[in-house]
Amino acid sequence: MPQVRIVAKNFMDMVAALPAMKLDKLYESTFICEAVLRYLPPLAKKYALQMLFIESPVTAKSMEEWVLPEALSKHRVATDRLLQLRVFLEIGDRKKEASYKMNPTFQRSMQKYLVQGGTLPREPMPLSVTNRLPTLEDLEAYANKQWECFLLQLINSSQAERLTNFSTSMIKVFQRGILSSRENEAPRLTENGFQFLLMDTNAQLWYIIREYITSSEDRGVDPTDLISFLLELSFHTLGEAYSMNSLTDVQSKAIKDLADLGLVKLQQGRKESWFIPTKLVTNLSVSLSDSSSRKQGFVMVETNFRIYAYSTLKLHSEILKLFSRIEYQLPNLIVGAITKESLYAAFENGITAEQIISFLKQNAHPRVAERVPAVPENVTDQIRLWETDRNRIEMILSHLYEDFPSKEVFEAASDYARELGGLLWEDSKKMRLIVNGELHQQMRDFLRRPK
Amino acid sequence: MTSVQTKLYSDDASLVVVLIDVNPYFWATAASGVGGGVNHSSATIPFAKFLNSMIAFLNSLTLLNQSNQVVLIATGINSCGYIYDSGTKGSEGSGKVMEVSSEILRRLEEFVDRDKKLGKLQGMAVGSNVSSLVSGSLSLALCYIQRVFRSGAIHPQPRILCLQASPDGPEQYVAIMNAIFSAQRSMVPIDSCVVGMQNSAFLQQASYITGGVYLKPPQLDGLFEYLASVFATDLQSRNFLHLPKPAGVDFRASCFCHKKTIDMGYVCSVCLSIFCKHHKKCSTCGSEFNHVPQNPNSASNLKS
Amino acid sequence: MQTSGPNRDRSINLSGSFFGLLIWRHLDCSGCFSFSREALLRLDRPKERLFSSPVRLRPARRKHRIRLLFPDESALQYPKPEAFCNSIPTWEMASINIAAKYKISLKEPGIAGVLRMAEERFTFTPHDPRSDPKFDGPFRGVKAHKFSKDGSKQALLNIQLHEGGAYIFDFESFSERNVCRDFVGRVLAKLQSVAPAKVDKAVPNKTAPSVSGEQLSAMEMERRMKLLREDSELQKLHKQFVMTGILTESEFWATRKNLLDDAVHNLTKQRTGFKSSMLADIRPSIDGRSNKVHFNLTAEIIDQIFAEKPAVHRAFLEFVPNKMSAKDFWKKYCEADLLHKTKNVVAAAAEAAEDEELAMFLKRDDILANEVRQKIKRVDPTLDMEADQADDYLHLPGHGILHGGRKDTSDAENELSRRTLSQDLNRHAAVVLEGRTLDVESGDIMAVAEAHVMSKKGSSIETSDKSENQERQEKACRMTELEDLQGPRRLPYASLCIKDPRDYFDSQQANALNSLGDNGVGFTSIDNSLSLEESYTYLIKQISEAKVKGHIDIVEPDVALKVLDGLNNHLSSTKHHIVKNPLVSVLDRLPVAIKDELMDHWTLIQELLRHFWSSYPITTGYLYNKVLRIKEAMAQIYHKLQEIKESVHSDCRHLVFLLVQPMLQALDAAFAQYEADDQKRSAKGAKPNGFFKQG
Repeated sequence: MPQVRIVAKNFMDMVAALPAMKLDKLYESTFICEAVLRYLPPLAKKYALQMLFIESPVTAKSMEEWVLPEALSKHRVATDRLLQLRVFLEIGDRKKEASYKMNPTFQRSMQKYLVQGGTLPREPMPLSVTNRLPTLEDLEAYANKQWECFLLQLINSSQAERLTNFSTSMIKVFQRGILSSRENEAPRLTENGFQFLLMDTNAQLWYIIREYITSSEDRGVDPTDLISFLLELSFHTLGEAYSMNSLTDVQSKAIKDLADLGLVKLQQGRKESWFIPTKLVTNLSVSLSDSSSRKQGFVMVETNFRIYAYSTLKLHSEILKLFSRIEYQLPNLIVGAITKESLYAAFENGITAEQIISFLKQNAHPRVAERVPAVPENVTDQIRLWETDRNRIEMILSHLYEDFPSKEVFEAASDYARELGGLLWEDSKKMRLIVNGELHQQMRDFLRRPK
Repeated sequence: MTSVQTKLYSDDASLVVVLIDVNPYFWATAASGVGGGVNHSSATIPFAKFLNSMIAFLNSLTLLNQSNQVVLIATGINSCGYIYDSGTKGSEGSGKVMEVSSEILRRLEEFVDRDKKLGKLQGMAVGSNVSSLVSGSLSLALCYIQRVFRSGAIHPQPRILCLQASPDGPEQYVAIMNAIFSAQRSMVPIDSCVVGMQNSAFLQQASYITGGVYLKPPQLDGLFEYLASVFATDLQSRNFLHLPKPAGVDFRASCFCHKKTIDMGYVCSVCLSIFCKHHKKCSTCGSEFNHVPQNPNSASNLKS
Repeated sequence: MQTSGPNRDRSINLSGSFFGLLIWRHLDCSGCFSFSREALLRLDRPKERLFSSPVRLRPARRKHRIRLLFPDESALQYPKPEAFCNSIPTWEMASINIAAKYKISLKEPGIAGVLRMAEERFTFTPHDPRSDPKFDGPFRGVKAHKFSKDGSKQALLNIQLHEGGAYIFDFESFSERNVCRDFVGRVLAKLQSVAPAKVDKAVPNKTAPSVSGEQLSAMEMERRMKLLREDSELQKLHKQFVMTGILTESEFWATRKNLLDDAVHNLTKQRTGFKSSMLADIRPSIDGRSNKVHFNLTAEIIDQIFAEKPAVHRAFLEFVPNKMSAKDFWKKYCEADLLHKTKNVVAAAAEAAEDEELAMFLKRDDILANEVRQKIKRVDPTLDMEADQADDYLHLPGHGILHGGRKDTSDAENELSRRTLSQDLNRHAAVVLEGRTLDVESGDIMAVAEAHVMSKKGSSIETSDKSENQERQEKACRMTELEDLQGPRRLPYASLCIKDPRDYFDSQQANALNSLGDNGVGFTSIDNSLSLEESYTYLIKQISEAKVKGHIDIVEPDVALKVLDGLNNHLSSTKHHIVKNPLVSVLDRLPVAIKDELMDHWTLIQELLRHFWSSYPITTGYLYNKVLRIKEAMAQIYHKLQEIKESVHSDCRHLVFLLVQPMLQALDAAFAQYEADDQKRSAKGAKPNGFFKQG
């Protein structure tokens, strides 16, 4: 299975990668702390909670005391994560016994949260000013429309009916990993791009946000500010209006971009302007595995490999086109068929069978979603089979070693390679061997070692 | 790839139903004990502090995971009632810790008022041994959890936390045992944290049977720490951890006539009362036993 | 494959266990008849198949020549049957198995079975395992034997017993009878000459031999040896005690009577069932050179044929041996089978017209058909049999089962072959499921046939149509019951009346509290010095205080740390005690050597204690001596245990102590009993319980 390189869920890695100073500064905001806490693995959450009111260091050993022997690996993952994010600080002892102490800034913020709750830097605007706000349904429709429009523009600029306000350079940034544009050629979706399209909305959003933040430095914006703003936004109340005046320059610039993505809706009153957070942004703080943002599914797959997609969206038909042959397009229905050819084309583009299947499953029409399995088994099996058909040849980067001075050296080298598990082929007569390229350095060291 | 196979809820999403004991006698007595200069200040806890720890605990639960849900049920001596449900507030309430706590306190006040009036209506004899209606609140909690179970395939993992202070009410034995068994059947663990003077035999059994944690914190001024480090642990993480366990639950029965713990005895075939000696008539249900069996000790006499 | 016409020359090779007797009985008249010496030698090893070496015979040529093929014909010269019978005395350990009927009086028909005679005893095993007179008698109990004259009406042998009474056996032929007669004569002569006294003393015993004393029959000995071989632990015990003289052989086994009994039961209980492979698998083998077709019929196959094809069974009973010999019967059967298999419809029809016996095999099995009709009547009336009618794929091309290399798709036009695949499959499955009700090893084909009759009588319960109908109706009623028309179903029960629940539950609580170590001190009930009003006021006050205070004092950092430390300590202290299965893990934590040693000691102690306690009260000198011996042995082990306890490494000393302690206690209790008893005895003086204390 090819490696999936788009991993949007590690947003927290970005946070963890921030310098300690900036991180500590971030932790002054209760919202950041809360978001970070929610991202932690369950065990780490527990550790953080039990340390919340303890100011002195606790030995690592005493923490391990709680852990069952078979779960030690989980324990390590949890503590590593806590240390990475500087929620815990490691305090080395002279006696070599490690102790952990909670980051005081984090601790203070969290204690404050428990006692007073987080206070947003801005309060919702009173109804008297905004008089009428869009309903939640309207807001959601708006957000979805905005987001789909953006996506369409992203993958196929010519198809979009309405362009977002992103500068072409911004779009280029977003497209970086998704489209490959060559000279004189219409841009083509890359393998990553296909995978991107098949991800659920929240994951896509995180990917875009991450791109947005990483590119921020080029625009002269501190990523820390953006991160904290975004996390803060995610704790705003859905559907309430917040005044634009409360925003800093950086923030008000960013909020326009966010509006283009459908994260907030901007409205202009008589005197003031305000923004209304949509579901997309309030879900940002939800860990990725929680996709309560799920939209209703629309796809039905029949055992005869036909796909019926009840959708009016162009985006959907674009996505379906990735791996199926579209047969009819009716006003609210797309009919397609999964064929060997269409799937081969998809595999060619680096889409995996699992991705297709999970896309079909996740977007199953409510009528079929109740059923188990939501996608007929024969279809899923066939998709997998077609995929394995293709993967009969495996490419492994490797090195050829030849001209060994003696039989002994050759044999030692081949044994060594075998031990490492990287020996791919050997010819003892001609004293040649091929070893996995990843092990080249080790092989070289081995061969250079004086005998 | 995990990014594609998203689960609907992360594994640690939990629904915690917290039962708090609002027994006026107990709290007032405990407080008067403290006021009277009884030396163990760590063995009792004023109700206010108890409430604050508990509310902070509820807040930290909702903090841990967006899909965590908390339900608070008060156990009075005349009634039980829902105090707070984080689920009804929608998910945006996270920034409103203050509001949550003031709402809880307000509702609690109302509850105490109502409970008091009910007591007057029923003309409760003052001075009788009054225990909290744990069975009632357990049943409420289980009903709530059943509703959640039936709401759809996707729901947070439920558990019950019983914060009990007053001693067990023996007259509720059957009701509590029934609740325990139904919790066991629906795989809902009952955690118990006893803040009173005595261990609770009922809750000990409840936790033992349902696989929950039973704890009687020795140091009550650190109640929150107990709650945070033991009872906040979600069911998923419990698979990886040792949690404090009582040394063992003794299930040996004691006879009804002398209250002795016995290994072997006579059991009434009608009501299952236990006696250490043979009786002509069951003292509990009044059934008459017609057959007089041989004394079990006589067998050993014959031997020698 | 070539189709073979009816006139083709064919040989049938019969081999298998009970064919030996079949041949003996039916073929001796036809001339050449011979046994190999090896085959006869096998006779005295009952567990092996008799006559597993093929037997060659060449009967008078009839329409078909039948040869029973022998692998290396040239190598053998065989003695005549008479010679063989006479030569028995030269084999001292010989035994013979002969089919016979057991009769209680001369007039009744008798029970068919196998009479087996060995040097020491004779046994009779009926073919039908359920019939009663299975017996086993030693020759020592035989006074004399009588027999009918050669050429008289019946070939009889009468064995008379010392205690009166006699066994009468009716043989198929005189030659068989004579073999037995001679055997009995020789054995009796030998017994009388060797140990006349023994014969006088011997009590004829129809069941197991008496176990008294050390005189055990060889069989008994063998059984014990076998038990010891199979159970290494038992062997160890045996070695430890019996070999060293602490226990006698009989004492040792006396406590294990059940083992011995079980061993006996096991011999008769377990039987193998039918093979799950189809009958179709008796394939004829063809050698390429001639047109001969060989069928290999074994006892097992015949048994299975009887079970699966009741019509063949009936025919066998009808025709054999009156109308034709068993061999002819099977030859016919095989011919029919071959015709059926090769689908040679025309030939089959022609053959059937010519030969009515053959036709019988080709006809549909009417017994089965009847049974099927019966079964259909019993089918659940609510079952929709039409539902899966279309599921029959057999008629489609490409389906079916491979029969003899060819696909056996059923052929609708052919009446003869219509009883095919699915029917055969069903019948076979039914028979396999039913299981085997009799021993095939009993040796005689006739016996098998008769046993089938018996088992059928036993199993088929002829339910009258009337009751059946009623049952069907009831079933239909039950199935079509409409739920909403039924009254609520409630079990009548009386509610439990409890006078005062407090009484009941107080005790439970008190008990639980005791176990928690609260001792019920502190206060069991709430101090009621405060009035209800006051209490409520306090609550309200506290709530408002909570409101005012906010959550400033949730927990102090140092208190929190203290709590966490406390929990940590609690966990680390309990961690080592909480183990899933305490006993197992304690053992597992010990080094293997110590563990094994302890376990060994434990089994030894158990054995000794069992003997020790079972000897009380001491009523005989014998018992007294036994107790003395055992006590000595126990004392030895006691010392060994003490040594283990002291020598063990300090790491596991505690564990070992835990394990050893109960053993020591058990031994102590035994010693105490011994002391007490000893004192009582000496106090009472010389004659407690009527026996003298010796020494």
